[in-house]
Amino acid sequence: MLKIENLTHIYRGGVRAIDKVSLEIPRGMFGLLGPNGAGKSTLMRCIATLQTPTSGTIRFDDIDVIKEPEKLRRVLGYLPQDFGVYPRVSAYAMLDHMAVLKGITRPRERRDTVEALLQQTNLWSVRKKAIAGFSGGMRQRFGVAQALIGQPALLIVDEPTAGLDPEERNRFLNLLSEVGENVVVILSTHIVEDVSDLCQRMAIIADGRIVTTGVPSELTASLTGRIWRKIIAKTELEAYRQQYVVILTRLFGGKTLIHILSDEDPGNGFESVNPGLEDVYFTSLPKNRRAA
Amino acid sequence: MFKKIAAFELRYQLTSPVFWVAFGIFFLLTFGATVVPYIQIGSTGNVHVNSPYAIVQKLGVMSVFAIFILTAFVANVVVRDDETGYGPIVRATPVSKFDYLFGRFAGAFVAGMIAYLSVPLGILIGSFMPWLDPVKLGPFQPEVYLYAYFLVAMPTLLMMGAMFFALATVTRSMLATYVGVVAFLVLYFVLIGLFAKPQYDHIVGLLEPFGLGAVGEVTKYWTASDRNSMLPPIAGIVAYNRLIWFGASFAMLALAYFGFRFETKGAKRQRASRHDDAPAPRPAGPLPAPRFDSYATRVQSWKWSRFEMAQVFKSPAFFVLLALGLLNAGGSMWFADQFLDFTIFPVTRVMIDALRGAFTIIPLIIAIYYAGELVWRERDRRTHELFDSCPVPDWAFVVPKIAAIVLVLLSTYLVSVVAAVVIQTFKGYHDYQLSHYLLWYVVPETFIAIELAVLAVFVQALSPHKYVGWGIMGLYLVATLTLATMGFEDKLYLYGSTAYVPLSDMNGEGKFWISRDWFTLYWCSFALVLGVLAYALWRRGTETRLWPRIARLPRRLSGGAGALLAVALIIFAASGAYIFYNTHTLNEYNTSIGRDKFMADYEKTLLPFEKLPQPRIIGVTLNVAIYPHQTRVETVGSYAIQNRTSKPLSRMDVRWDPYLKMVSLDIAGVRKIKDYGAFHYVVYAFDKPMQPGETRTIRFKTLLEQKGFKNDNNTTRIVDNGTFVNNMEISPFIGMDRSALLNDPVKRRRYGLPSELRPAKLEDDRARANNYLRHDSDWVTSDIIVSTVADQTPIAPGYKISESVANDRRTVHFKSDSPIANFFSMQSAAYAVKRDKWHDVNLAVYYDPHHPYDVERMIAAMKASFDIYTKAFSPYQFHQARILEFPAYASFAQSFANTIPYGEGIGFIQNFGAIKNDPEKIDLVTYVTAHEIAHQWWAHQVVGADMQGMTMLSETFAQYSAMLVMEKLYGPEHVRKFLKYSLDHYLRARGSEEVEELPLERVEDQGYIHYDKGAVVMYRLKQAVGEEVVNRALRRLLAEYAFKPAPYPSSKDFIAILRQEAGPKYDALITDLFARITVYDLKADSASWKKRADGKFDVTLNVEAHKFYADGKGKETESPLNEDVDIGAFLAEPGKKGFDKSKILVFEQLKLKTGKQTLHLVTGRAPAFAGIDPYNEWIDRNSDDNLTSVSAPGG
Repeated sequence: MLKIENLTHIYRGGVRAIDKVSLEIPRGMFGLLGPNGAGKSTLMRCIATLQTPTSGTIRFDDIDVIKEPEKLRRVLGYLPQDFGVYPRVSAYAMLDHMAVLKGITRPRERRDTVEALLQQTNLWSVRKKAIAGFSGGMRQRFGVAQALIGQPALLIVDEPTAGLDPEERNRFLNLLSEVGENVVVILSTHIVEDVSDLCQRMAIIADGRIVTTGVPSELTASLTGRIWRKIIAKTELEAYRQQYVVILTRLFGGKTLIHILSDEDPGNGFESVNPGLEDVYFTSLPKNRRAA
Repeated sequence: MFKKIAAFELRYQLTSPVFWVAFGIFFLLTFGATVVPYIQIGSTGNVHVNSPYAIVQKLGVMSVFAIFILTAFVANVVVRDDETGYGPIVRATPVSKFDYLFGRFAGAFVAGMIAYLSVPLGILIGSFMPWLDPVKLGPFQPEVYLYAYFLVAMPTLLMMGAMFFALATVTRSMLATYVGVVAFLVLYFVLIGLFAKPQYDHIVGLLEPFGLGAVGEVTKYWTASDRNSMLPPIAGIVAYNRLIWFGASFAMLALAYFGFRFETKGAKRQRASRHDDAPAPRPAGPLPAPRFDSYATRVQSWKWSRFEMAQVFKSPAFFVLLALGLLNAGGSMWFADQFLDFTIFPVTRVMIDALRGAFTIIPLIIAIYYAGELVWRERDRRTHELFDSCPVPDWAFVVPKIAAIVLVLLSTYLVSVVAAVVIQTFKGYHDYQLSHYLLWYVVPETFIAIELAVLAVFVQALSPHKYVGWGIMGLYLVATLTLATMGFEDKLYLYGSTAYVPLSDMNGEGKFWISRDWFTLYWCSFALVLGVLAYALWRRGTETRLWPRIARLPRRLSGGAGALLAVALIIFAASGAYIFYNTHTLNEYNTSIGRDKFMADYEKTLLPFEKLPQPRIIGVTLNVAIYPHQTRVETVGSYAIQNRTSKPLSRMDVRWDPYLKMVSLDIAGVRKIKDYGAFHYVVYAFDKPMQPGETRTIRFKTLLEQKGFKNDNNTTRIVDNGTFVNNMEISPFIGMDRSALLNDPVKRRRYGLPSELRPAKLEDDRARANNYLRHDSDWVTSDIIVSTVADQTPIAPGYKISESVANDRRTVHFKSDSPIANFFSMQSAAYAVKRDKWHDVNLAVYYDPHHPYDVERMIAAMKASFDIYTKAFSPYQFHQARILEFPAYASFAQSFANTIPYGEGIGFIQNFGAIKNDPEKIDLVTYVTAHEIAHQWWAHQVVGADMQGMTMLSETFAQYSAMLVMEKLYGPEHVRKFLKYSLDHYLRARGSEEVEELPLERVEDQGYIHYDKGAVVMYRLKQAVGEEVVNRALRRLLAEYAFKPAPYPSSKDFIAILRQEAGPKYDALITDLFARITVYDLKADSASWKKRADGKFDVTLNVEAHKFYADGKGKETESPLNEDVDIGAFLAEPGKKGFDKSKILVFEQLKLKTGKQTLHLVTGRAPAFAGIDPYNEWIDRNSDDNLTSVSAPGG
């Protein structure tokens, strides 16, 4: 169980990246959903001991993460949002090196670990190639492989699917879902489908604050009967925004499809629609961050 | 479009910080070189700091450094767009390639030229600074600045800009371009080093890209007056050089144009991944759990170190740097055994010196560069989040990185040793002394590099950016270079500084290693402090600000790190205290500026006593106990003194060396009147005045020692093996004289002394009362006992009377049977001895057993010298002559009575086998031996009065005598080679004269005059008047003055004798040679032959000749020439391979007049070469154009 209380981090210049965040994350997949710049990565880095927050506490089981970062690192697997590689270093060598750093120092155990993970992430056939030449998906799978070294009890994956094509994304999520149910996995993403496909629990973060938290199916159920949709001309959008709570707009065959939030039937050609997680997400966001 | 792009580029560059930083740095450098007397570019001696020569030199030299800045401007032009990712956008605009590329280049180049204006500006503003020495300042000459800026600097910078612009365009990489810059500079300096010989001056002048070679070739024989008033004409070699490189710049720009591709360089496509056929491993079971124990930590550290090292070793920059270092050091080592005129064996000591000089800069660059790379690697590669979240303790980040640098540096040094050994092998030298490489070079140098690496790591840990860290380290390097020259010399605060260890085969590292190792311990422990702090401040995670890291410093320092820090601090403090005790308490700490000041005060206080009448020393008794292993010489001695004046003396002044401790001074019947303390000068009054002719005795006990070690200048005089002290260091003088006073006019003016300290004029007959060795003695009787440790041989002038060994001390008693000069050497070392006999004279060479190579040659040279000198001059006054090797701490040989200390480096490792086969080399060992033996006559029989011309009677005659020996042993061809070097050296050295060039008869102890010009003058004299005439004159000089006290002879006396012997026919020549500064310009323009009816050949030779007289500042006035000159026609070129007597067709003397003229010869065969003064016996400003090939008729 990861328990975050009143976590605040202020960057130089006074930017509040995260603001009084409190969260309880049990074992299993947990989705942290939020738009770019919402503070996801800062939160992830704080949990991953890479950033000392300005105030607040983070506890993982009986580890005080801020006071004893070295203890947490022993049970941590972390896939950063963005990581680079060394030129002229192969996947095998790099994974081997990571394994040493993660405490798998006995040569035989290390070989088992590295080989098993290369196998599991489907990188066996390219293990001798330099990672610098990997595609985005291969690189992310390598990232997971290194994060899984040494039986982590807490796995943090930050924006892992950004930039992947659908097939690579699928393969990646499958890989992630295989990781045991017994560990805490935090998946941060701005892609709603990542969460809806994978996570038992989720939270939505915006402007550094947790705006919603819960079980995805329960959150969508709470919106049943309150989401309405209509296809309108692009020029009408401004007028509708004035009149309704427009939570989602999307181009649809040259016209604009809008979802609005309304407890009653708004009439005017709107039809009821079954709410999806996307509606939950955009409903939760402050008005200015709702997507086009 | 071109103009707009150029203007935009210019504006862009002018607003960049690089521009202003460059402007500032170059302004300060040049300003400094103008106003700081320690840094002189082109303005040595009498040359003004703002003279045309100095301005041209400064702009030329600075343009070498400016390459770095210029490259930043012009390479940035092409690389910038790729780095910012803006390239595709720019290149998608309809700008033409020409406009884009050259518009930008033009803008950047103009920006560079504007930045370079800082250099002339620095000189200009510097020359108006009020504290400048007015003597060093000339008038403001605006045209000189224009010349230097537009003719010297601009074509160079255009060329360099174009070249590195082309490189940047082709490579599209800033790093590659800078590697190119470094490679270019190393190559440049290597080639300049290789071609630094007179015969290459012309080709270097033509092709050297900075124009310095061309200017150097034109001005190499310029005098100070020329340098202050003239600019090299824009013609000939200067014009060609500038045109060549101006043209080359356009070639480079064309290269850039064709090398440039508008398309963005795509990422290299990986080939379709080859699938690996290795069997897939077993399906994954549960993965092993991590373990965190000490084994794991060890493995982690080691693996990470290896990983980091691999990153360095695999990076191309490492190999480029290593290759550059090896290239540079290889060149240096390859020529380490080559001197202009002779060759030595490439002994390990010499190779280590070459490596220390030419290679060690590379590991320092590697240390600084890779400290930045390693500290920032994770961040640069964006892997820091992966690694920083690993369960690895913080120290396991820092330690492996430092360990990796250490191992990289160590291997770098080891590679350089391999290169040295390869070169030794290649030269056929197999005594590698690997332990010396290791202990004298690899280990100490690696520690120095490690200290720098740790500092760089620490700086990088503090810096907000890698480039900032590098910048700070660059400034640090510059600061360490400048601080030491500004009087901040204490090694206790100069980080990483260590004591210099002079090397010698005789004495190994002596005791010099002790202070080096203490300083190494001191700075390494401080480096350890920095290392711990670097760990404590290490960036982990995304916190890069400094203050939060400082805030968590205490937490990181708790435990082991803090303990280590404490231990390091304790060692640092303790070793610092011990060093302080040695350098400040046991020994007096002093800087070079402090020493100069001391000498200035010394002179101000004591020089007024110079002329006071004093008693003279007539007999010397010394008992000198040398303790080589305790660095101590204890002397008990006495002087017999006599009043040789015509009046009673009531006062006597006793003076001794400032480094010498006077334990007791015992003079009967005197009162001390005044004691000048640290000047070691005491004035006594005789209770009863000393009557003319009266003799008394003074007794003294002195102690010369060094306790512990000093900050610098540890003694090289008393060492474990190879002690060499002279009596002036260990026994007192009577009265004041001028030895050891400040000479440099700039320093003298700075400390308020008259700018020149000149000897008495040649006309001042009072000066004949003293010889130039010392004023307090004429010839003295001597009785010297020298003792030392039992396993060494003690030596002093005189005949051995007794030798005994007791209490592990060997004591030898030396006595001379006739008076000798009061100037003795006392030596002690473990010697092998080679003995021989010349008639009844015992010859001996005392040498280090490792150096038997040249001993036979020395014996042979001694014999040949005695053969010739006893016939030509007078009998040898002793019946022994000994040569004694001393360590390579100095490179000279010196003649004391029948005793010749001879430096290890110049005399005992000469490689005669190599010299024999090299037409450019001479047998220097024989030459120097003959020169020193000649001093037994010229200084030890006749010694000059202490007035102008004094050294002509010793050094010039010794040169002449040695030439007689060389001519007999090796033939005139060998001597001519030597003379050519002497002439070149004389002509070059005139330009940097600091006081005044004088005619030979008035030489004021100026080496280039009494050695180099002296040799040329004496040889021409001998050729003109005949050897026997010269020798007769010398014999008469000896007959009149040998072994006699005052009045001492002057050069005038010799010249008067010479005129009598030579006859009036040679009066004009003798005046020109001795009493004037005469310079000729002889040139053979062309020659042709025509066959006559009688089968002989008419040869027509067109020549041009001029003669000049110069004044002391180098101002030359032409004088009509009307002299007989040698003219010859030859089948082969004299001085070149294949020339010998049989190639001479005709050799005769013809009258030569000023200007162009045609000379005629008749030969029996068709000549190939003809010329005037073909053997270069005249002082000719250009001795390379005296010969011309002879063309066939109609050809």
